Amino acid sequence: MALIVHIIFFKTKMFWKVTTARTLQSLVKNTSSFIVFGSFAVGGFFFARFVTAYLLHDVHIGLFLFHRFISMMLFVFFLAINLGNMVVSFSTMFRSPEVNFLLTSPVSHLNIFIIKFLDNFFYSSGTLFLAGLSVLLGYGSYFGLPWYFYLFAMFGVLVPFMFLAGCVAVIVLLVLLKLAEKVSFKGLLALLVVFYSIQIVLYFTVTSPVHLVQEVMKYYPNVNVYFGYLDPPLTKVLPNYWAAQILLFFVAGKFTVVAGYWVMLLLTSIAAFIFMIAVGDALYYSGWLTSLTLRFFSSRSGSAKSPVFSFEKRSRFEPQAEVLLKKEFWQFVREPSQWIHFAIMLVLVIVFLSSISTLDLKLESPPLRAAIFLVLLTFNAFLMTSIALRFAFPMMSLEGTAFWTLRSAPVHVRSVYWIKFFILLLPLIVLSLCTAVVSGIPYRMFPMLMRLSISVMVLAMVCLASLNFGLGTYFSNYTEKNPIRIASSQGATLTFLLSLIYLVFIISILFVPLELFFRAVYLSERFHSGTLLAATAALVAVTVAASFAAHVMGVRSLRRDF
Amino acid sequence: MVFKNEEEMIVLKNLTKKFGSFTAVDDLSLEIPDGEFFGFLGPNGAGKTTTIKMMTGLFAPTSGSVTVNGFDIQKQPLEAKSTFGYIPDQPFLYDKLTGREFLYYIGGLFKMPKETIRREIDKLVDHFEIGDWVDKRSEDYSQGMRQRITIAAAFVHSPRTIIIDEPMVGLDPRSARIVKDSLKQKSKEGAAIFMSTHNMEIVEELCDRIGIIKDGKLIFLDTKENLHHHKSKFDGKLESVFLELTK
Repeated sequence: MALIVHIIFFKTKMFWKVTTARTLQSLVKNTSSFIVFGSFAVGGFFFARFVTAYLLHDVHIGLFLFHRFISMMLFVFFLAINLGNMVVSFSTMFRSPEVNFLLTSPVSHLNIFIIKFLDNFFYSSGTLFLAGLSVLLGYGSYFGLPWYFYLFAMFGVLVPFMFLAGCVAVIVLLVLLKLAEKVSFKGLLALLVVFYSIQIVLYFTVTSPVHLVQEVMKYYPNVNVYFGYLDPPLTKVLPNYWAAQILLFFVAGKFTVVAGYWVMLLLTSIAAFIFMIAVGDALYYSGWLTSLTLRFFSSRSGSAKSPVFSFEKRSRFEPQAEVLLKKEFWQFVREPSQWIHFAIMLVLVIVFLSSISTLDLKLESPPLRAAIFLVLLTFNAFLMTSIALRFAFPMMSLEGTAFWTLRSAPVHVRSVYWIKFFILLLPLIVLSLCTAVVSGIPYRMFPMLMRLSISVMVLAMVCLASLNFGLGTYFSNYTEKNPIRIASSQGATLTFLLSLIYLVFIISILFVPLELFFRAVYLSERFHSGTLLAATAALVAVTVAASFAAHVMGVRSLRRDF
Repeated sequence: MVFKNEEEMIVLKNLTKKFGSFTAVDDLSLEIPDGEFFGFLGPNGAGKTTTIKMMTGLFAPTSGSVTVNGFDIQKQPLEAKSTFGYIPDQPFLYDKLTGREFLYYIGGLFKMPKETIRREIDKLVDHFEIGDWVDKRSEDYSQGMRQRITIAAAFVHSPRTIIIDEPMVGLDPRSARIVKDSLKQKSKEGAAIFMSTHNMEIVEELCDRIGIIKDGKLIFLDTKENLHHHKSKFDGKLESVFLELTK
């Protein structure tokens, strides 16, 4: 234990020194980070408060239904933390040079395992804590909850909930590596993707949100009653359900029920941690050895077999563009952490799209129609934001220490920048177009909305890709080889928050024209297309300005000393 | 490739690099003509790598200029860079590419025709005894193999000037011999070679002229012949001259 504290003390000291270095650059960076993080927290607070007030006061969906929506969001949140931790843990626990070093020192592998788990969990969860706190503040302030609610909800509910997701992720990872000694690792990963996809589909089939809304709305306006009998038994054993119940019963003032769910959540988290330590003790070192073998085999698969992307084959491209294109391609497909993560994200997009394409919206309320259209659009954009952050942000940094080859070669770094950007933009645009078309299916009777959805998604994708690539270049770290760590760095977090601000801007600028449009359709009021045109023009202007600024920062930063 | 008809292949004029208040290279001026093998010596932190990084365009000088084969590295970077080959102090490669792919990649950046690249790669693989390793990914390479690929990459476009930072790091004696012979041959063919190193034996064996830098300033500059005169003042070793000058 003393050894763990000793190592964590020095790691914290090092982190503190890096983040509080007394230089002008550090001061500017920290001040701007503080402003963006602060704005984000304030924005999160007002957004959560607005959504809570809107759904409970304006749309009047009732406390029960509202907390069931929270439960569903927490389910997705749990899986996101779970998958994120699994991917990050693979890199930090098995591929980190620090682990190689610690294994040569008199530190037991169990201590290394615990240190890396804690390091990983707190490093990658900082922004989520901030987001959680601001949302809880917004939620709590609507209900006028006392100060101790926030402390309790943050440290008593949110932290154990996230901790549980992290522990489960590491247990699954260790078991996977154990199985990988005997079964093909690629096969296991495919199984994992199928397993998680089934979980999502099963959860939403069992909970059936549309059915739930219809059942509760039968009792409108008496919707504040507790409809516990509508909860499928399967969902009651899930931590997201417990967390949502804690919030619901805290608001209702039934603290004995709160205590019951809280104890359940806390004990499960502690049990998961103890179980994870036991599994780590048994499997971590052998898993580390397996990961070496995996690396050995993955790197033995030789040179380019595909005739299309072979370096030896001539192409119609200009030589410099050609070799850059091929290099990017091979670096991506030969790095398992890149394509595996991409495949997982792609599966999530497909699951999401297949769910919403069959959505049957029977709501007549224009504001609710507008809200759902925007929610779908925003969720699409949010998925694209996550993909852009994960793949566009680290793209320049992944040149790594070999970047000297480009900087000392007769090639404009500006050209390199744009070639890399377009290599990235093309697949992202295709992906965003697919999501826009599929998510427009529930609104297929309105061609204008389909056109709007496509235009907004393309614009958003250009902006998100530009922000992530431009700022990823500006904050480039050529010494970090792990793309996941690059995508969770301070610069990446800042970029993510800017992307979220951009998404909030999209929602706020489109809400009024869309509500007017649905009023015109359902209530036969007049609709002036000028409002929608003005909103789109503002969106184009912001997109162009933000993209331009990000690219200027990116290109200029490439002239820095290497 | 078209070169400007200049006798001095590398010209450093009042070159200065400051990092905040710290001056890493201080008003350095040097001229290296056609066919000269120049040895650049100095203790750790003297400014050798900083100088080389400014010569190759990796650092922008605070003031002064670098001209390579008649092209200013800041004003005509593409023209200048197309004329030299650079071997860095650390042989960083793209881990996921094989040696052969890396060499094709470098050839493409220098806009060489595929057929010429293929011919050069075959020649270099043979010359540097890279063998089957050329088709394995560089993440599997030893330090020495990485160094061989890096040197081959610097030679692939037949540069007229070679800039090297610590060329023998990680090389076994046989590989070191091959590299030394290759550099000597290039120099005989008329290429200017600028080499930074800590290895006194290599300097004595290969270099025509030697410069010693300390605290960013050039404190010694003379030919190998005149160096013998300096050496005789001590115990006949270049190492002693170096230690005395950099004391």
